[in-house]
Amino acid sequence: MVQNVHAVQDLQTVEELPRGLQVLNELNVFNNLNQAKLLVEIQSVSKSFHKTVKESTKEIKALADVSLSIHENEFVSIIGPSGCGKTTLLKMIDGLIPYDSGRILIDGRQVTAPGPDRAVVFQAFALLPWRTVLANVEFSLELRRLPKEERTKIARDYLTRVGLADFENHYPHELSGGMQQRAGLARALAVNPAILLMDEPFGAVDAQTRQLLQEELLELWQSQRKTVIFITHSMDEAVYLSDRVVVMTPRPGKVAEILDVPLPRPRVSEEVRRDGKFVDLTNYIWESLKKAMENHHLE
Amino acid sequence: MDSSLIPPLTQIGAAWWKLLSSGKLLANLSMSLTTLAIGFCLAAFIGVVLGLLMGRFRAIEHFLDLYVNALMSAPTTAFVPVLILWFGLGMESRIAVVFLFAIFVIIINTMTGVKQVDTVLMEMARSFGAREREIFFKIMLPAALPAIMAGLRLGMGRAVKGMVTAEMLLTLTGIGAMIMQYGSSFATDSLFAVILTILMVALAAMKAVQWIDRRLTGWKAEIAIE
Repeated sequence: MVQNVHAVQDLQTVEELPRGLQVLNELNVFNNLNQAKLLVEIQSVSKSFHKTVKESTKEIKALADVSLSIHENEFVSIIGPSGCGKTTLLKMIDGLIPYDSGRILIDGRQVTAPGPDRAVVFQAFALLPWRTVLANVEFSLELRRLPKEERTKIARDYLTRVGLADFENHYPHELSGGMQQRAGLARALAVNPAILLMDEPFGAVDAQTRQLLQEELLELWQSQRKTVIFITHSMDEAVYLSDRVVVMTPRPGKVAEILDVPLPRPRVSEEVRRDGKFVDLTNYIWESLKKAMENHHLE
Repeated sequence: MDSSLIPPLTQIGAAWWKLLSSGKLLANLSMSLTTLAIGFCLAAFIGVVLGLLMGRFRAIEHFLDLYVNALMSAPTTAFVPVLILWFGLGMESRIAVVFLFAIFVIIINTMTGVKQVDTVLMEMARSFGAREREIFFKIMLPAALPAIMAGLRLGMGRAVKGMVTAEMLLTLTGIGAMIMQYGSSFATDSLFAVILTILMVALAAMKAVQWIDRRLTGWKAEIAIE
């Protein structure tokens, strides 16, 4: 076990990666991303929360000096143990909560509030239970002051794309978790954001549905490219979906490692998951997470 | 048991029919229902507005919470002498009693409803660019509606109690006067006929609120906060 820890800790540079991963790096077909436009720039962002327990206020450092750049149309997953501040980071990119220090830039402009260039898909779906599926998808368009006819037209279009065309008059509680999240996805896509922020969107559905939703998401993304920032704690989900995977440390969250996923697209789920590179990468991320967590315990 | 204490249903029915056909019951009932309607509507309007404000703004809640809770649990009948001093012995006093009986349960249910709104929904609205006004009208109000309606239903039950109490304690009018009159003259068949009428009125009033509730919050399974 001790030996194992050392082996993982020594993997500092590309040269020291296992041979298989070295080959992956050389084959990286997504290197051209480096020439694509920088869309999201997170520059040494930190965030603390104040928690009051029995009159004594404790400062909890959620994120420490996080830096990350994301290119246009890139699919980036952020993975990390529970409580590492990955959801906090996503909310700060959306502009829902302020950050203490550092900067977050989107297309060169600093984030201060939610904007029309971003849309969130929420973990707990966040559908309005008193609205039908159609009216829920229209909600985001309603806030953008679109006329009624146009709203309905766009909402129907996106409901069709996520396969909910026949359920537009259902209420959320009449739908399964997977269908509810499809509606949540349609609501986010309907405003045509440049950046789609997904906060463990498939965490609350069963394993089979999860895999289906992943495939559908990739298909949608393939047909209508967007920049996606995807929070997850599933390693194979991160690898299957992403161009890059950001591994975070436990609280206070820092970027432990950023990995390229050189699997060709379009990715067919059954093939990709059996691919040796896929297996190597998920294992590597697991080791990286383990390393981050062990370092954390030593501190 | 003596049939004059608990008269048989046939006798009660006959007495009820007599009261109805003489027009006495309907005249008194319409008087009582007017009090009920005005008192309840005032309580519903002011109660929902105060409850929404208390649920939405911490400062207002801190300021009013103690009074609302104290008045909610205090026996409302204790305020009758004060109300007589303020409003005299007319209809205004009776309306005030109905109002006081009904309002606090409406305030508390409304406030609870607003405070229990899922923060995830508000965050979602904010994320899609909703302003405070839109969050209030598009998220908080509809989300609190089932609790508000539950409060109104309970408030209606209390309003009927208030109506009868006011008519018995304040001025002998309407249904309450009939109860006192038949009670003191041992006309138990008529007394029970009036009591049954009150039960029917209470039931009808609650059903009316429930009907509105179902039309407004049909999206949700029925709930009740007691």
